[in-house]
Amino acid sequence: MTDTQPTMPQPEEPPRRLTRSTTDSLIGGVAGGIGRHLNVDPLAIRITFVILTFAGGLGIIAYLLCLIFVPTDDPSAPPLKWGLARTLGAGLLAVAALAILIPDWAWGPAVPLLAVAGAIVYLLIRMVRDDGGSHAGRVAARIAIGIVLLALAVGGFVGAAAGSALGGGIVVAGLVTACGVGLVGGAFRGGARWLIAPALLLALPLAAVAATDLDVRGTWGERTFRPATVAELAGGYEMGLGSMRVDLRELDFPAGRTELPLEIGMGEIQVLVPRNLCVTTDADVGAGAVNIGDGEQGGIDLDVTDERRVAPGVANLHLIADVGVGAVHVGDRLFEWDGPGRWRDDGFDAMETGTSRLACLGAA
Amino acid sequence: MTPRPGYDPGSLVSGIVVIVLGALLLLDQADVLELRAEYMLPAVIAAVGGVLLACGLAGPPRGRS
Repeated sequence: MTDTQPTMPQPEEPPRRLTRSTTDSLIGGVAGGIGRHLNVDPLAIRITFVILTFAGGLGIIAYLLCLIFVPTDDPSAPPLKWGLARTLGAGLLAVAALAILIPDWAWGPAVPLLAVAGAIVYLLIRMVRDDGGSHAGRVAARIAIGIVLLALAVGGFVGAAAGSALGGGIVVAGLVTACGVGLVGGAFRGGARWLIAPALLLALPLAAVAATDLDVRGTWGERTFRPATVAELAGGYEMGLGSMRVDLRELDFPAGRTELPLEIGMGEIQVLVPRNLCVTTDADVGAGAVNIGDGEQGGIDLDVTDERRVAPGVANLHLIADVGVGAVHVGDRLFEWDGPGRWRDDGFDAMETGTSRLACLGAA
Repeated sequence: MTPRPGYDPGSLVSGIVVIVLGALLLLDQADVLELRAEYMLPAVIAAVGGVLLACGLAGPPRGRS
């Protein structure tokens, strides 16, 4: 026999309302609130916001909307704090700058890769957090996180250097400034010293690139230029990265000054000139070496000017060389640069100072 | 015991230093300033030194002993 007991009517639960968490909060408690509402780990929500930020700033926009329209779970809490507003303002400025400067980044191929990387990072952090895992497993997870962080650091450093040298210095400098604004904003919310690492990782390579005026935009590789006439020299030659050889040995230089502008971002410039030609040079090298016949000069921020006196009516080639990182060499035969102060001597014969000087005086 | 301020001085000073460095780099990249190595290297060294000094003097961030 079964007796059915009347069931007591249960009070109907009020519908769960999405609120921002005041107990699980890194910035505004949005991820903590969403995670609680959906019964999902807030860490996964945070990683998703970060990944979506690389999709045209969608992550930050969505976060901002939640911040504005989703109420906090503590009615007595103030709606927004100044530190938070500053942090968000900096984030918005960074997104706006990136969106303007790199319009193709929205929904680019980086997003799926970031999604995979985010999932791996999430799993690793969970492994470290979980108390139930084995000690060896947690150690392995920590090592893996260390490797991921190291890879991110190296990638960020190299990426910042390459991006700066390829003309993206303004973006990198903007990110450095945004990190600084984030640090100031975060100082009033318990500190955000972790931002120091990315700020310096971005600033140091950019500073090196800026100090050397390194710009590798343009042609890459090994190029040899053999102009047929002196008139072709007027426009000069320009390369981004590699080895530029300008062979002028077959040219018949007219009397007077002929200027030749040469520019390379990273690499070496070799200028082959006819023997006994009066050559003067104005070389600006960010970091590297210059050998124009008076011996090699090397170092950082080189500005080598060789404006010797040129007698009237003498054919004079005036080189205006601009090198970011690398070397400039002037000679009348082929040569190879093997590093600071070392020139491979197979056939090498630099311009002899005395020969060029005599030529400039019209005596060679 | 001296009460700790309501903000993290290490983050604050580091942030100001990084902002100044970022602004210098931004102006250089925008060709407003021409920062050669003789100015840039000391600026970077000073920035890194300032950050380390600020964090060292400020002690651990709030919430950590």
